[in-house]
Amino acid sequence: MNASWRSQLESLFHHTFSTKTMEKSEWLKDINEGVSSGNKGHQMQEPGTTYRTKSGFVRFLLQERPGQVDYIELTDTISDREQMLLSIIIRQAAAEDKLGIGNPAAEKERIALELGRWVKEQLETGKRNTPVPVEFTSSRLEHEMIPFLIVREQGSMHSEHEGLEKLLHSFFEEEVMIIPLQEQEWLILGPASILKDDTAESRMDEEGETADDMLTGICSGLHGMLANEWVGECHVAVDYPIIPAESVVDTAATLRETISLGRKYHIGENIHFPWMLSLERLLNGIPEEQRHRYIELVVNRSDLLLEPEIITTLETFFSMNCNVSDTAKKLYIHRNTLLYRLDKLKQDTGLDVRMFRDAVLVKIILLLYKVTKRK
Amino acid sequence: MAGVRLEHVYKKYPGSDNASVKDVNLDIKDKEFLVLVGPSGCGKSTTLRMIAGLEEISEGKLFIGDRLVNDVAPKDRDIAMVFQSYALYPHMNVYQNMAFGLKLRKFKKADIDKRVREAAKILDIEHLLDRKPKALSGGQRQRVALGRAIVREPQVFLMDEPLSNLDAKLRGQMRAEISKLAKRLETTVIYVTHDQIEAMTMGDRIVVMKDGIIQQAASPDVLYNHPVNIFVAGFIGSPSMNFIKGTLTEQGGAVHFKTTGIDIALTEGRAKIVREKGYVGKEVVVGVRPEDLHDEPVFLEASPGSIVTALAEVVENLGHEKNIYLNGIGNDTVIARVDGRSDIKEGSNIKLAIDMNKIHMFDTQTELNIFES
Repeated sequence: MNASWRSQLESLFHHTFSTKTMEKSEWLKDINEGVSSGNKGHQMQEPGTTYRTKSGFVRFLLQERPGQVDYIELTDTISDREQMLLSIIIRQAAAEDKLGIGNPAAEKERIALELGRWVKEQLETGKRNTPVPVEFTSSRLEHEMIPFLIVREQGSMHSEHEGLEKLLHSFFEEEVMIIPLQEQEWLILGPASILKDDTAESRMDEEGETADDMLTGICSGLHGMLANEWVGECHVAVDYPIIPAESVVDTAATLRETISLGRKYHIGENIHFPWMLSLERLLNGIPEEQRHRYIELVVNRSDLLLEPEIITTLETFFSMNCNVSDTAKKLYIHRNTLLYRLDKLKQDTGLDVRMFRDAVLVKIILLLYKVTKRK
Repeated sequence: MAGVRLEHVYKKYPGSDNASVKDVNLDIKDKEFLVLVGPSGCGKSTTLRMIAGLEEISEGKLFIGDRLVNDVAPKDRDIAMVFQSYALYPHMNVYQNMAFGLKLRKFKKADIDKRVREAAKILDIEHLLDRKPKALSGGQRQRVALGRAIVREPQVFLMDEPLSNLDAKLRGQMRAEISKLAKRLETTVIYVTHDQIEAMTMGDRIVVMKDGIIQQAASPDVLYNHPVNIFVAGFIGSPSMNFIKGTLTEQGGAVHFKTTGIDIALTEGRAKIVREKGYVGKEVVVGVRPEDLHDEPVFLEASPGSIVTALAEVVENLGHEKNIYLNGIGNDTVIARVDGRSDIKEGSNIKLAIDMNKIHMFDTQTELNIFES
């Protein structure tokens, strides 16, 4: 079944439909031993053929292949009427060629969906280091690829998978793998070759451009392209290239955490990088109560630290590596105005952010304040 | 090409008590160059992002042309965006970057080639078409970003601080180029900036925003000469308008404005307005632009009723003009902008005459311009 049919049925039956495959002889044996329905005794099987197994499942045939059958399976909690209805739907979909079986694009989407389900399961059970099972491994997953995670806040994915695939294919100019993790969350595996083309390499040598810089540029470009050409705003995270077959789950977990931290600590930003969020990751592990205590300890000295103008000033100051001139330029204020603000902060709080020690403290306070002030 | 209309548009983020954009009503005409300006957090970018479709509209209606586009995806709004971060595609060369949007829309190769080369010619980047973004300067990258928007031939261009990553000299150049480009393309442009010089020099009309609310929408001339409130008066103009708090009193048949170091008579026309509006005897804020304080002997002689004496604390010599920071007029520092040939010395006490035909006056409570409301 293609994604649309499958999703509609899944939401109707509140059940996940995974396509399974078994030997035709085994299917025929089961059907003959089954407790009801089926096409007992017949050698040719039609899509929609259904039976209840002794072990408590209801199976529906999707298609017959030489020596094998593809089917879906539900627990036998569904009624006879529901079983009959589902059988009719599958038969109808097969007649209209909407099952998508045999269609390479739909088949690819099906595999991606199932791989997504598997990745999600591993994430939920905390098994970050599980290698991808053989049934999903393809040559694509054995090669180095760049992992991206895209998260949207609104909309529906069903009609968008194909559009997203076309867009990404045009953007990367090579085949990409789109693995849906949740309704608004996709893990994208893009070609690592874009980091390694001759021009890029020569530029790296000449200008000292790092892999981080390259990935940042690609991620920014990808985000801009998706915002303009897809369905609006989304969050994008990227990590270093991986061999997906070995570490797709671990990478998905890292990227999820990256977007979550990015959204929490850097509101308004849509592009997130794991290597930029080390401090945020560390602070996120501090218990809530301890965070509050720490903030109160410092902030209680003066409310000035929480004024929007000071927060913007300090954030810009830190993003400009504590360079006064660059910060003033970025804020479009006179250097003396910036110095006046920093002096006032020092006077009120005793913290001089031009000193490394105090700068670290204030940076931590600002990050902690962002996640505690909404309480 | 098309106009853009916002009707009672609000933006409220989940979990926030206050709307970031409140009751915005704007009718942007076809081919108009409209600038949204205001300080950080005033809602200008949010408004633009709602027009772009990057932010959902919480309440109200947005029309592009005659089409209601509240629920239309950005790609289907027939707009092109240029943002502060150029977000060029680093693995594609300039030609591919510019052609990408057209390729997606299944334009014929010949059409794509024609549009890309025409846009490259307009932007003077024909010689860069084979280069990748990393090999370009900041100004060149911004031109490519503009080119990517131009080739789409959209109904509306949306630009969010597109020049803020450029150095001062390049900003000046690109400012003029974007203005020229907008006229040449005859297209509607909505341009966001916090820079009032960009706003004043580029916009057919400027919308000044503060706290998510439109303060005034008018031509640069009207905005500068007839600000509706203290915020607009202070935001537009550099150095900004001087504000002096004082009291209006009736004295010898004239209305005088008095405070520390200042006792000046209003013109008859302005005196009539403040009498009619009942401000005599009350505290008001007078606004004087730095260039409306004069040190030329001829002006001093002709304006005996508006002369003030003050200490010139700092003299900033900009060559063609000087900014004089004065102490002794009201309670705050007052800035006068005088001719570069003026011989005012730091530390000297000087006489200046205020051009009383150009002063503004604001209600201390509502902050509205008494002469404009």
